[in-house]
Amino acid sequence: MASSTSLAALPSQLASPARRAALSRSATARPRHHHHPLLREPPKGCRLVVTCNAQTAVPTSIAQGTPVRPTSILVVGATGTLGRQVVRRALDEGYDVRCLVRPRPAPADFLRDWGATVVNADLSKPETIPATLVGIHTVIDCATGRPEEPIRTVDWEGKVALIQCAKAMGIQKYVFYSIHNCDKHPEVPLMEIKHCTEKFIQDAGLDYLIIRLCGFMQGLIGQYAVPILEEKSVWGTDAPTRIAYMDTQDVARLTFIAMRNEKASKKLLTFAGPRAWTTQEVITLCERLAGQDANVTTVPVAVLRFTRQLTRFFQWTNDVADRLAFSEVLSSDTIFSVPMNDTYQLLGVDSKDILTLEKYLQDYFTNILKKLKDLKAQSKQTDIFF
Amino acid sequence: MAAAIVAARAPPGGGGAAAVIAYHHCASPSRALPLAAGPSAGGGVVVGRRYHHHGGACCFAAKPTQVAAEVDQGGAAEPGVASANAAVEAKPRKKARSRRGRKGKRSSSSETRTTAVLEEEEEVEVKEKKTEEDGEEGKRKEKAAGLDLDEVMAVSPVGLGRRSRQIFDEVWRKFSRLGQMSSASSTALAEEEQAVLIRGGPMCEFTVPGAQDTTVLVVGATSRIGRIVVRKLMLRGYNVKALVRRNDAEVIDMLPRSVDIVVGDVGDPSTVKSAVSGCSKIIYCATARSTITGDLNRVDNQGVRNVSKAFQDYYNELAQLRAGKSSKSKLLIAKFKSPKSLNGWEVDQGSYFPNTFASRFDEGIDASFDFSEAGQAVLSGFVFTRGGYVEISKRLSLPLGSTLDRYDGLLFSVGGNGRSYVVILETGPLADTSQSKKYFARMTTKVGFCRVRVPFSAFRPVNPQDPPLDPFLVHTLTIRFEPKRQRPGDGSQSATDPRNFELILEYIKALPTGQETDFILVSCSGSGIEPNRREQVLKAKKAGEDALRRSGLGYTIVRPGPLQEEPGGQRALIFDQGNRISQGISCADVADICVKALHDSTARNKSFDVCYEYVAEQGNELYELVAHLPDKANNYLTPALSVLEKNT
Repeated sequence: MASSTSLAALPSQLASPARRAALSRSATARPRHHHHPLLREPPKGCRLVVTCNAQTAVPTSIAQGTPVRPTSILVVGATGTLGRQVVRRALDEGYDVRCLVRPRPAPADFLRDWGATVVNADLSKPETIPATLVGIHTVIDCATGRPEEPIRTVDWEGKVALIQCAKAMGIQKYVFYSIHNCDKHPEVPLMEIKHCTEKFIQDAGLDYLIIRLCGFMQGLIGQYAVPILEEKSVWGTDAPTRIAYMDTQDVARLTFIAMRNEKASKKLLTFAGPRAWTTQEVITLCERLAGQDANVTTVPVAVLRFTRQLTRFFQWTNDVADRLAFSEVLSSDTIFSVPMNDTYQLLGVDSKDILTLEKYLQDYFTNILKKLKDLKAQSKQTDIFF
Repeated sequence: MAAAIVAARAPPGGGGAAAVIAYHHCASPSRALPLAAGPSAGGGVVVGRRYHHHGGACCFAAKPTQVAAEVDQGGAAEPGVASANAAVEAKPRKKARSRRGRKGKRSSSSETRTTAVLEEEEEVEVKEKKTEEDGEEGKRKEKAAGLDLDEVMAVSPVGLGRRSRQIFDEVWRKFSRLGQMSSASSTALAEEEQAVLIRGGPMCEFTVPGAQDTTVLVVGATSRIGRIVVRKLMLRGYNVKALVRRNDAEVIDMLPRSVDIVVGDVGDPSTVKSAVSGCSKIIYCATARSTITGDLNRVDNQGVRNVSKAFQDYYNELAQLRAGKSSKSKLLIAKFKSPKSLNGWEVDQGSYFPNTFASRFDEGIDASFDFSEAGQAVLSGFVFTRGGYVEISKRLSLPLGSTLDRYDGLLFSVGGNGRSYVVILETGPLADTSQSKKYFARMTTKVGFCRVRVPFSAFRPVNPQDPPLDPFLVHTLTIRFEPKRQRPGDGSQSATDPRNFELILEYIKALPTGQETDFILVSCSGSGIEPNRREQVLKAKKAGEDALRRSGLGYTIVRPGPLQEEPGGQRALIFDQGNRISQGISCADVADICVKALHDSTARNKSFDVCYEYVAEQGNELYELVAHLPDKANNYLTPALSVLEKNT
């Protein structure tokens, strides 16, 4: 029952530095039999009432009510880089998409504009979750805590609540995005949490699909492409890590193919791009395509690690430390990539349809440079006018 | 366990119970939605308020709270506004975070002014510590970027401080990003990049060039297909107008917000007229809700008629505005309004068997082309000679600068007793008629007045060795009557002897060509309708299709098999003509065809059936199979449609 207590106690531990140790212990020592009691025999009275209700409700509602349409899906984290591509792809394929979005001052109007339904809920407030799952067939979970907030609120507690809720309400498929190699880096909090969530899903008894991702091409634009164009300094590391970047549009496309494929049910798939790149290689590529040299500031990985160690000492910089935690991964000589042939074969996808980073960045630079040229032409015109 | 948490955090029977009830009793999934939204919205209010204080850096930067505004004079205000929520500054972010951490501790305690002040102090502390810690780096960076800022800011220490803060934030942001993998947090995409990558941007996989300048009217936007069509159009950046019958909140909620909603009924010509104005394409996916004949007629027949008429009127209006010079204007070839208009038309008669004696002993041929007192140009007579024919022909004199290759076909407005005629076009050098080539096409008229479209693509060369018709070279137009061969059993003694003919000509026009289709009609193939109502349904649909074909608009008629509610792009499709399909098709695939057909020249003036592929029995393959699998920029439609007949 250790895990259940740690679960319940987590909120109060949130702010304390000791929680890190607590979580990693409970996560690694979180075998199968610890979860099932939680789902099947809830310990407290008030829990019992609603849990039973939900579990018995599923069969009857299928028998009596309108069956849930297989085209109705819920996308969690729909405003994110991957989430919005998932939403677009789903809408285009004819799904009825509901987006779980945190209530915020600036509502995500673009989702509504594309034709999705937006419901407000916050994973860190589990009482808001069940209502959003009504009438949903498949849940696609692309939520990751924002870098600026404590990782556990969304990524662990929120996910646990969501998965349990999905189980209780008879969701028929749960798609979860994880990180490649997350089982090998328990020292990185986000990866550890992802790994624990994977295990949690596998144990929950849902029909699931777990997709591990390596890296998004879209992230490179803000990190390298834009600074190079603006002639600002680009920061890179000398890390030897290679990452097989992938286009989020491809990820979304493959996700739906995999989701409908019976053979991929209850599987753990890893999606990787066609080639793995180091930071230096990406910068060189950007320079070539932009036609200008980058002002590169290389920060040794050691510095990052040192900063991380430093920030860990202070309570208020703990989250900074979490953010820098990937420096541990970077400093190890890892390749974030997998051979994709089996996956392509399983899904019936042609590897030629997967966008390469060269093509992606080339498209980006052509379009951006064209746009810049247009802007310049416009400003010239206005000069003449006035 | 989910429920357990619900129960733990909310009073029993709160959100969770309500949700379960909704799940039980919801009659339809769409009904369930408002119910579902209810509790979550209720929660949302509470959450919203607390969230504001909890808020991430996004809301922090965009909307500085009191505390932030005071402490953060520069950092939050300027860059926060400039780079919106995406380029989050590291410093405010950190502060927000540290503040939140503290808030987590006192979780539910009320927010008071005192705590705010307290926090302010704490934050100053935080800021100082932070600056010490990473100061060296900040300074290093400052030197690099400091050249221009010296000149601007050197005077005011406040400005200088603000500026250095900005630079420091930028440096810190980049620094802390280094420790990340982009898969972990690539949320920091600036909005202007989004413009390129997402909405209508060139790098988005759905983008259609020129979509922003195209307004599409979706009739029946709340139907099964219409819903998906609207979404697909929105994703591709089109301007979308939706014609819906009711202005309910339910309907409005179903449609994306930037859709321009027109309330009206297709049965009512006046509302239709306002709906089509400003549109450049129409997708008609409304269908009758019942199989009552009145309903069918109103929506499937009269509705199509109204919309296509309104759209053609709108086009004509545009054409008039440009004084007939618009690309939408038809070209008048001949108009039979006065006796003078008959000048240049020659009546001729002949026989296919010039050498047979038999023709001499037959009853003979008589024909006249006159302007009657009723103001009509009438070609009438009889052909009793076997193999004989009567024709009128005219050398075409087109207005200067217009050639027939810009046109798609001929439109005849004719009346009479419903005989079939042959239209013959002659091409070749004007000077030497011996070299001219002849092309023919059959034109079937009805009793009474009607308009007949004869597309150029329907003309076949008289001499099979000749190349296909090139409208550019056409110089002479002939309309020929030849009696159909009488079958021995035919009761030819009836009042309408097929050898008598009367053709009243009103006008002949050339139809403007268009690269694209104007009007896409989702009809039905007839399979899957309950048999006793099929006749009525098909009759109404057929009438609607005919109305559209005759309207002169570029049309595409899609006749899907029985619709299925499932995601599209999964199975291969069959495109076929001639009522041979048997399989179903998903709504999403039909919607996809509609959207793709908008800009596909092969889809213009085509009617086709479409359904999922099925495995044909051996030796029974009647179909042109065009498989498609979902992939990027897949255009399965063009090859599939290019083999199908036009103007069927």
